[in-house]
Amino acid sequence: MEIKVAHTENPKKNMLTLFYQFRELGLLFFIILLCIGVQMRNPSFLTGENILDLATNTSILVILSLGMMIVLITRGIDLSIGAVIALSGMLTAQLVAANPSINPLLCLLFGTIIGSVCGIVIGLLIARVGLLPIIATLALMNIFRGLTFLVSDGEWVSSYQMSKGFVALAGGSFLGINHLIWVAVFFCLVFFYFLNYTRTGRQIYAVGSNPQSAAVSGIKQSRILLLVYTIMGGLSGLCGVLWVSKFASAQGDTASGYELTVIAACILGGVSIAGGSGKLGGVLLGAILLGILNNALPLLNVSPFWQNGIQGFIILLAVIVNSIVKRRVDRTHSLRRAG
Amino acid sequence: MLNEFVLELEGITKAFPGVKALDNMQFQLKKGEIHALMGENGAGKSTFIKIITGVHEPTEGDMYLFGEKISFKNPNDAEKMGIAAIYQHVTSYPDLSVTENIFMNHEIRHPTWKTLNWREMHKQARELLCELGSSIDPKAQMNTLSVAQQQIIEIAKAISTKAKIIIMDEPTAALTARESEELYRITEKLRDEGTSIIFISHRFEDMYRLASRVTVLRDSKNIGTWNVDEISNDKLIVAMVGREINQIFPDKKMSAGDTVLEVKSLSNLGDFEDISFSVKSGEILGMTGLVGAGRTEVCQAIFGITRFEKGEILLDGSPVKSRSPQEAMQNGIGYLAEDRLEQGLVVNWSIEKNITLANLSELSSYTWLHRAKEKEQAKTFGEKVQIKATSIFDTVHSLSGGNQQKVAVAKLLTKDLKVILLDEPTKGVDIGAKAAIYEIVRQLAEAGYAVLFVSSEMPEILGMSDRILVMKEGRIAAEFVNRGVTQEMILEAAMGEEPVQKKSG
Amino acid sequence: MEQEKQTYQPRTLETQLPFSWKRLFFQWEWMLLLILVAVLLFGSYVSPYFLNYPSLRDGTMVFLDKAIIVFPMAMIMIMRDIDISVGSTVALSSVVMASLYTTAGLPMEVAIVACLVTGAVCGLINGLLIVKFKELSAVIVTLGTMILYRGIAYIILEDQAAGGFPEWFGFFGWGYVFGIPFLLIVFAALAIVFGILMHQTTFGRKVFAIGNNPTASRFSGVRVDRIKVIVFMLAGLLAAITAIFLTSRMGSTRPNIATMYELDIIAMAALGGVSTAGGKGRILGVVIAVFIIGYLQYGLGLINMPSQLFLIIVGALLILSVAIPKLGSMIKRK
Repeated sequence: MEIKVAHTENPKKNMLTLFYQFRELGLLFFIILLCIGVQMRNPSFLTGENILDLATNTSILVILSLGMMIVLITRGIDLSIGAVIALSGMLTAQLVAANPSINPLLCLLFGTIIGSVCGIVIGLLIARVGLLPIIATLALMNIFRGLTFLVSDGEWVSSYQMSKGFVALAGGSFLGINHLIWVAVFFCLVFFYFLNYTRTGRQIYAVGSNPQSAAVSGIKQSRILLLVYTIMGGLSGLCGVLWVSKFASAQGDTASGYELTVIAACILGGVSIAGGSGKLGGVLLGAILLGILNNALPLLNVSPFWQNGIQGFIILLAVIVNSIVKRRVDRTHSLRRAG
Repeated sequence: MLNEFVLELEGITKAFPGVKALDNMQFQLKKGEIHALMGENGAGKSTFIKIITGVHEPTEGDMYLFGEKISFKNPNDAEKMGIAAIYQHVTSYPDLSVTENIFMNHEIRHPTWKTLNWREMHKQARELLCELGSSIDPKAQMNTLSVAQQQIIEIAKAISTKAKIIIMDEPTAALTARESEELYRITEKLRDEGTSIIFISHRFEDMYRLASRVTVLRDSKNIGTWNVDEISNDKLIVAMVGREINQIFPDKKMSAGDTVLEVKSLSNLGDFEDISFSVKSGEILGMTGLVGAGRTEVCQAIFGITRFEKGEILLDGSPVKSRSPQEAMQNGIGYLAEDRLEQGLVVNWSIEKNITLANLSELSSYTWLHRAKEKEQAKTFGEKVQIKATSIFDTVHSLSGGNQQKVAVAKLLTKDLKVILLDEPTKGVDIGAKAAIYEIVRQLAEAGYAVLFVSSEMPEILGMSDRILVMKEGRIAAEFVNRGVTQEMILEAAMGEEPVQKKSG
Repeated sequence: MEQEKQTYQPRTLETQLPFSWKRLFFQWEWMLLLILVAVLLFGSYVSPYFLNYPSLRDGTMVFLDKAIIVFPMAMIMIMRDIDISVGSTVALSSVVMASLYTTAGLPMEVAIVACLVTGAVCGLINGLLIVKFKELSAVIVTLGTMILYRGIAYIILEDQAAGGFPEWFGFFGWGYVFGIPFLLIVFAALAIVFGILMHQTTFGRKVFAIGNNPTASRFSGVRVDRIKVIVFMLAGLLAAITAIFLTSRMGSTRPNIATMYELDIIAMAALGGVSTAGGKGRILGVVIAVFIIGYLQYGLGLINMPSQLFLIIVGALLILSVAIPKLGSMIKRK
């Protein structure tokens, strides 16, 4: 029971701790195994074309997961993003249908603003009024989805109503790489910088890790919460435009239930729902894992009807394994602390 | 003369709706002194800290820093002026690194790009920790460190803000003797470098060891400031509690019966090791030791809340195994939790519902609850422990600390128990209510319960117990029959370096 | 010395509260009743076919099936948890029942039992995972099982519909007993059973205790884990009952039925005064809230208002019902 205070050596690292600290490596390892397995069954998996395809189809998920990550880090959750995607997508599509000559980049801006407004509403309800995030976003999901149906009157906006330039937003490519991938890479870089090298970014972690402590050290919690939900809303709005451009149609039930996929990507990537922790690399890998599953299952001739089940199973498995590992790591920590 | 005081408070009052948390407070802090601040729980100490650190704004009064009048809008202002606080419960960010905890909210940034300069922060963190004589890895995650190590990080944080005034709120509460010694050393070093320190503690030894002056708070007021070498222990206690305490302990009647609870070499790696003792019916066995010595862990293991790896628990001579509190109570063991509000009571509930919570099965048939029986039981046991309230429907959070504790005791009485484990039953209870709780504890023993009485306060351990166990770092360091035992003997056993063998005095 | 003397005076505790008008009328349920009356008036204003006994009676068939789940959901929310997998559980139980009857050719009675068992097992899995892996929280666990259960429903039935049930099975959805819809009778019976369970039994008392202070409850001998598992299992079981009524009313089932039911159910519970922060709530309020939301949906349906408007109203009601108490206390503080 020797207790050393001031002269501790660096914490001894055992395998388990190492695994936990670099749990992204575990995820990466799993992804590589999965890729090898898929490749053995279907050689057309790891071809340049398919990889680009996969990346293009995963880009929107990646962008949204970044936003969801910071929401989860502050101990929140946002269930409304599917509805925000639909609302911003629908309004933008109607704008394009009415003014075919509009600059596509203006459309992106328009969608982002709509999404940000939605996000601000959520942020105010959570940060100022003090509603629980799950309740507030559940309610607003309903409201935004209802608004989408109302503004569209149940009608679709289809590809023939969209200008070429608008469809090229998500369909076109630069240097042979789809615009969506560029956008996703751009946001990854921005988030990496924002979360690791700005004070506000670190305050997001601080608020999630220990809200009381953040309050006494002068961090304005409500400001951070408002910011986080606004960013999430803005990203959802942007993705709404990209989504509509990519699938060349806007409907009332666009992206219905997509929030669950996004949250799943974050949780697979090791973001804790209890707040405070979550790394960009992990979230990226989580999103990629889901992207690979979506891409590979059809290649393996798995019936599309199995995909939901497999996804649900993998998510549960991942969080449970993660929780068991974490429990054992915590135990070794507390033992080391004591002896 | 103007600059003798680094911090002066003139008539600071802080009123919350319905209460004055701080009333016309005068306070002066000299440069390079360690100033102890003492007072009972609820005397206004934490409000005092929060005013100085800018968490609260005072309702009235002025504050002067280095002779200049100041007012803080938020904690950032105070931090910029060189005031830092180390709180009672470590307020770190468990998921973040040591460096980040040290530099939170005053990060080192690139002068033009405003990006965080991690390399510089890690370097400075290492230097700071080195200065404090510690080699904790700045990149380690905070929740992998021990409480003592986290305490050091908090101090490093205070230093990194270039604080000229550091407030330490019960920093030794969760530390072992050796860790406290380390903290004293660091605190003195800071003082010698010219930092002024306000040191808040319940432990008299902290004050005598460190402080040159002491200020006592009571009922939200400053009762007085003395030089430490000029005030006696008794006078200090009078100042803190407002009157002399003598004869608050009921008379002992040694009428112990048969051994009821026997614990044989109970061990749980990291918490406690080789714990053996027995309690007789009608006996009060005191258990003391520093906070963190493993007392609560032992109680909770006996009560089935936590597991133990080795050892045996005998009740009336036959071994029992309690895998949950529910089973423990069925076996006849009751536990009064240390943290009344978090673990003991449902504070939003009425007295009635709290008292009957543990005994619902007795008050129901086929799970149908008999309301009349429930009321009757609540009334009976509530009156037995003399809860000060108008009706059994009063909510528990409207009661004073002492009365809340009585509700918790009444809850235990509803069960058919043989052994009662009391974990710090008088913590945060005012002195008048303490006497009432002592009376109840003595009555419990006289009624034939075997009582294990855990407490950190020496006077009540000496005043109440028939026998005394002293725990140190997870082991039983000494056992005394309470005849002629002195505080010094217990302290020596609890803090001494050498393991003390069984003694009787 | 005075303090000390007081301590030793014999003291009595009242066991009867004096009557108080404020306590009688300062209840959320009165507010809900007013809203219900407003909804009924609104209904009669927009449609002449709304406010009469047969209309109101038959209108309940539209919404009461999912409202069955609100009882265990209220208990779950009182315990500070949430279950967002109930919609998927409805779908899975329904699909299991239908496919056992149509594909496997088992008798309908057996299929119904299988449906109930499926629901209970789904709930049991939720409960066990939540209790065994506390750090995951109910949100994550039921999010995962929500995807999983519906996924299994898709695996079983793909995108097919299954139906062609025996004629008597239609009784659940359309049958009347003494001129009252069978569903309404079942709902009323469940309301009474759960009302008693929550407010008059030791089980209910313990549920509230857990919601108010889980640690203190455990320390007082409440078997917290066991109660949680039971309540989640109840949620699964009642979801299966919902599945029976829903399938019967629709005559066939698909894997995508009951999507987003969890939202309506959570909204009903929250509107009914169940605190989303745990520890508070009454069955009476929840029942009134069910009828508020239900008749609103029914009334809007009568005048062919787009059902999307209903989505918005439910969302707004949910926000208002949780925001009003918060705003009230915010104003009080100022």
